[in-house]
Amino acid sequence: MIKPPFDPVTLATPFFILTVIAEIVLARFGWAKARYETKDTAASLLMGLGSTVAGVLTGGAVAAATLWVWSHRLFDIPMTAVWAWVAVFLLEDLTYYWFHRISHERRIWWVSHVNHHSSQHYNLSTALRQTWTGALNGSFALWLILAWLGFPPAMIAIQKGISLVYQYWIHTEAIKKTPRWFEAVFNTPSHHRVHHARNAVYLDRNYAGILIVWDRLFGTFQAELDEEPCRYGLVKNLATFNLLRVAFHEWIAMAGDVVRHPRHALGYVLGPPGWSHDGSRETSTMIKAAAAPGALKLAPAEREAA
Amino acid sequence: MEAAALSPAFLLQLAGSAVAVGALVATAAWAKIAKPAPPLDDARARALLAAEFPGRTLDGLWVATDGVGALAKSGGLALVLCQVGDGWAARQIPWAQAMAASFRNGRLSVDLADVAAPRAVLTFPAWPPTDLAA
Repeated sequence: MIKPPFDPVTLATPFFILTVIAEIVLARFGWAKARYETKDTAASLLMGLGSTVAGVLTGGAVAAATLWVWSHRLFDIPMTAVWAWVAVFLLEDLTYYWFHRISHERRIWWVSHVNHHSSQHYNLSTALRQTWTGALNGSFALWLILAWLGFPPAMIAIQKGISLVYQYWIHTEAIKKTPRWFEAVFNTPSHHRVHHARNAVYLDRNYAGILIVWDRLFGTFQAELDEEPCRYGLVKNLATFNLLRVAFHEWIAMAGDVVRHPRHALGYVLGPPGWSHDGSRETSTMIKAAAAPGALKLAPAEREAA
Repeated sequence: MEAAALSPAFLLQLAGSAVAVGALVATAAWAKIAKPAPPLDDARARALLAAEFPGRTLDGLWVATDGVGALAKSGGLALVLCQVGDGWAARQIPWAQAMAASFRNGRLSVDLADVAAPRAVLTFPAWPPTDLAA
């Protein structure tokens, strides 16, 4: 099957709207923990709205690539088999983990994903703060492996939608912890708060989509610590709500670095965010190392010299 | 580009979503549940700068008179802190760049040379600060 019979994200849109209202109203009357700032909320929601337009404009190319790969598939996987849905659930979630990990660890993908992290708030509107440029840097190619294996494009699209809808509800401070067995297996508000935090100990952790077991398996899991309250946003926070700057700032910054330092272009494009040829900036690894107990408290350039 | 995908049905859905965005933003504004952001004082500015620039010692600190920003001297650098909504953004620039910033009507406009943080506007009684050590 090529065209999905339904889109989980479209079906969930009324739920998104109602739950954002519910979170705001509950917080207004002190019945739930949530913070909303008007301009930040507008930026997040308009990024979400823009991403749906971008998705329509680029969706054709992504669908065409998926179809082409599927036409060269290894196996014929039936969309009606339960085992096939179990398999696509696990494999799509594994694909999402690696997509998400490279989106944080390589700047060419971070330039798009940074949009989702640039709010200093963590609420349900943050979940809708989505990139406009996700298809431009080709990260969709990771999902082509599933089509090559033989999963029908419609099946992949539905599972991607289910994953996106699952990840919506975990963007909240209103839920502190879920039952221990659930925290052990699934991505939860607590685990994902860690992922959105800019505290050194939390950087580049908890990349999971639905199953947190991938982080536990690949060594990127970090539990939320009572003694380290999450501070949300970027290592270097935005100082503007201008939507064009919010959407494109890291693309422009990367292009500027490449133009200024063409000999180091590969490092600025394929290196981790924060990489610089002269050590004047900090990557997550450097920040984490500097914040580790016993680390010398030096400025970046001093650290490089040491 | 998917011209066919920009169908009347999609445009109607988009218009509905835009109305919903407006309603949600209005609800957020009504609720007034932003983080408390009292005007900065010296201690709070130092704490924020320490979190943003760990390991940096401050040779001087000037908190904006309206409490929505601060500027500190740290060696050859200026550490700039400015309020964004109910949060904060910080950048470091060469001290000479801060000294050369335009100062008019009690407002210092600092070019932060960053597309994500283009400019900080800080209110000071004077600039350069009168208590700046020679």
